[in-house]
Amino acid sequence: MELQKFYYDNKIVKMFAYATIFWGVVGMLVGVLIALQMVLPAANFSLPFTSFGRVRPVHTNAVIFAFVGNGIFTGYYYSLQRLLKTGMASNWMTRIHFWGWQSIIVLAAVSLLAGFTTGKEYAELEWPIDILIAAIWVVFGWNMMWTILKRRTKHIYVAIWFFIATFVTVAVLHIVNSIEIPWSLFKSYPVYAGVQDALVQWWYGHNAVAFFLTTPYLGLMYYFMPKAANRPVYSYKLSILHFWALIFLYIWAGPHHLLYQALPNWAQSLGTVFSIMLIAPSWGGMINGLLTLRGAWDRVREEPVLKFFVVAVTAYGMSTFEGPMLSLKNINAISHFTNWTVAHVHIGALGWNGFLTFGMIYWLFPRMFGTKLYSNKLANLHFWLGTLAMLFYSIPMYWAGWTEASMWKQFTAAGDLVYPNYLEIVTQIMPMYWMRLFGGTLYFLGMFLLVYNIYKTVKAGSFIPLEAAEAPALEKEGARKSGESFHRFIERRPIQFMILAVVAVLIGGIIEIIPTFIIKSNIPTIATVKPYSPLELQGRDIYIKEGCYVCHSQMVRPFRSETERYGEYSKAGEYVYDHPFQWGSKRIGPDLWREGVKSGPLYKSNTWHYTHFMDPQKVNAQSIMPKYPWLAEKEIDVEATPAKIRVMQYLGVPYPEGYDLKANDDLKAQAETIAADLKTNGIDVAASKQVIALIAYIQRLGTDVGDSKTALK
Amino acid sequence: MSNTDEHKMPQGEPEIDELTKDRYLGGHEYDGIRELDNKLPRWWIYLFYITIIFAVVYMVGYHVTGWWPLQETEYANDSTAIAALKLANPEPTIDLETMVPMTAVADLAAGEATYKKICTVCHAPQGQGLVGPNFTDQYWIHGDSITNTISIKNLYNVVITGVIAKGMIPYKDQLSPLQIQQVLSFILSLQGTNPPNPKAPQGVKYDKIG
Repeated sequence: MELQKFYYDNKIVKMFAYATIFWGVVGMLVGVLIALQMVLPAANFSLPFTSFGRVRPVHTNAVIFAFVGNGIFTGYYYSLQRLLKTGMASNWMTRIHFWGWQSIIVLAAVSLLAGFTTGKEYAELEWPIDILIAAIWVVFGWNMMWTILKRRTKHIYVAIWFFIATFVTVAVLHIVNSIEIPWSLFKSYPVYAGVQDALVQWWYGHNAVAFFLTTPYLGLMYYFMPKAANRPVYSYKLSILHFWALIFLYIWAGPHHLLYQALPNWAQSLGTVFSIMLIAPSWGGMINGLLTLRGAWDRVREEPVLKFFVVAVTAYGMSTFEGPMLSLKNINAISHFTNWTVAHVHIGALGWNGFLTFGMIYWLFPRMFGTKLYSNKLANLHFWLGTLAMLFYSIPMYWAGWTEASMWKQFTAAGDLVYPNYLEIVTQIMPMYWMRLFGGTLYFLGMFLLVYNIYKTVKAGSFIPLEAAEAPALEKEGARKSGESFHRFIERRPIQFMILAVVAVLIGGIIEIIPTFIIKSNIPTIATVKPYSPLELQGRDIYIKEGCYVCHSQMVRPFRSETERYGEYSKAGEYVYDHPFQWGSKRIGPDLWREGVKSGPLYKSNTWHYTHFMDPQKVNAQSIMPKYPWLAEKEIDVEATPAKIRVMQYLGVPYPEGYDLKANDDLKAQAETIAADLKTNGIDVAASKQVIALIAYIQRLGTDVGDSKTALK
Repeated sequence: MSNTDEHKMPQGEPEIDELTKDRYLGGHEYDGIRELDNKLPRWWIYLFYITIIFAVVYMVGYHVTGWWPLQETEYANDSTAIAALKLANPEPTIDLETMVPMTAVADLAAGEATYKKICTVCHAPQGQGLVGPNFTDQYWIHGDSITNTISIKNLYNVVITGVIAKGMIPYKDQLSPLQIQQVLSFILSLQGTNPPNPKAPQGVKYDKIG
């Protein structure tokens, strides 16, 4: 048969590889900065765009979508062309993909630091960027499917199954979770509120882990591991079963982020059991990776690339066992809101994603530059430094998590909290935060070894922009042949394969999400719950803008230890006007849901809040909260009030008709009351300042039902 | 290796991997990556089955048969248990009428510990006052002007009922009567200590303090 000549485009691979390294350095540097802020609040610099609440989302977004994201595309463009024996279908689409993705990252960093955030973790970007992400993602996926259709191999390899699942699922997750109504050029409110928003958000959030940090990286593992080891994949049968089980089961697991919270019990239980059922499918990937190395273990000792891969896959196995364990109610009751979760995600990020990326980069550059890696020794050093860094990072964080949980929950014999002052707990784990900073810094330093090693490798070689290859054209083949298994059949039917993947991932989402919208009993109505006043709404937007949700939850779980500390536990019906929900996922500081309840254990005066926002360390010398002096200088954006009210009305919040035009009168009246109260206590601040709105919001929190402990008994 | 496929494979012995003695799958070759025909590991299959059984039992036990309590019931059970505990260990009653400041070192130390946990956020670490008033001067807000006295009894009532308008919550649920007596004794021991950055006097000057 006649051989066709074609070229693999290495240039796009190189572009994404450089971007991976660059954003890796940036993302990790920002991680080191926020770790420093945790031990040294002065490192927040009392400036809006350098304070923890705005910077932490930059770290998470940079690491996930910039470092890992570019890592995905690096390995994807390299492997896809070779696995399909064809160049990319469209080169200009690859360039649009590259520059589009980089501009999304830059826009994300700038807008997050400027305070434009939706307040939904890992989906913080605002609506114009959301639209851009969707468009660029479609460019990437379209080009992928087009290339697959133009392939010269009959079947698509398991790596490509994972790429297809990644493409379709991330598209669905991103679009469904980002449906929002703009009230200005850069700001919007999500259409979902409270419990529904939480459910959609964590359906998205958990599957960002599944379909952004896991499935594409499994695809990369299936290519680079056998290539680097020069060994066959352990079991094709295992590939099939674990692939389909993984994508079908993963999508259900989101509610495990909301255990013991104001989510219907049935949804929580589904989150738990599907997480448990994920152990085997996840381990299927680990086994298939590790057993591929059979016969090559002696080379693992020599070859840094394989070392990185082995630890990456092992970290994947650990994370995917720990994750299901954390989804058990009794373990989650300890781990949730503590640093245990932080340790867990960093085993995944530093170990699985980081190490797989490093191994892949060390493997790719010599091949793209027709040379050898500059120094295996340095790569080995990077490996050991990174491994130590992970231990220094994770052990203190596990320890901190257990310390926090036990101090939160400890009662005296007489039935009182042993540590009613939250600050005692923060102070107790300070040494662990220092050690974490040390571990994170080590990992960051390892990155420079990589940069230097790659720089020298690039210098020594010469780049091969296009790699020639040849193969015969694909023969047309029709219906399923006798003796051909069904799976083997759809491996040569990529469109059908994609449709099946979509069906597999849609089932779980539909069954979990739809009922909370249509079955009223899932969110029982509470008559006393009223919409926020215009001032409170403005304050809430400031709360979101400053990223308060990064450190404070708004979710009192039904535990004695929480109702003693915070007040009545949270009810689903209390959050019906919360667009977006702000339940949070980590308590660096205390929960705030009952902060405004005058009979509750947390209540503070307006004066206290003002003093505390201006200088938390003046109130508590050991506090690690940033200072917010600009809140007393910046004006409340009253011009936006009518638009905000109108969007809320559109979303079903029952403000009276025509209220958008009267709202500012109420806003000013309420602001005057607070300013006057501050004045009687010797604080002179104009009623038009942002701090007034934020105080109004904080004083409103949890008061609709929380005022009397017996209100809901 | 060329692009052969199963149905084109010549009949005969399948190819064997030399290092592991496992069978290759014919026609499974992608950019040089081949695949082995290994079965699913037994233990892996059983693990999968066990987790599926766990899932079914879990759903049935929580949502059909009600073998285990859901979170609201769990909370109610805990609350009942703590209420019983409190009933079984009644706090010693304190006669407010005869209460006087304590002077024993142990009591003052216990009072200081409570102060650091709770009071310091508003009244500052050395009692010099911040959002709340200064405890080290002779000026007090809640004293008895007729007798020109501020006594531990007056302060006890402040702690029990709180001064909500000023942001001071009642602490009767968080502190036992003994703890309140101890912390107030500690506070009164701060008289005349002159810490740095004192808050300006609030209230009325009293001569009889204690």
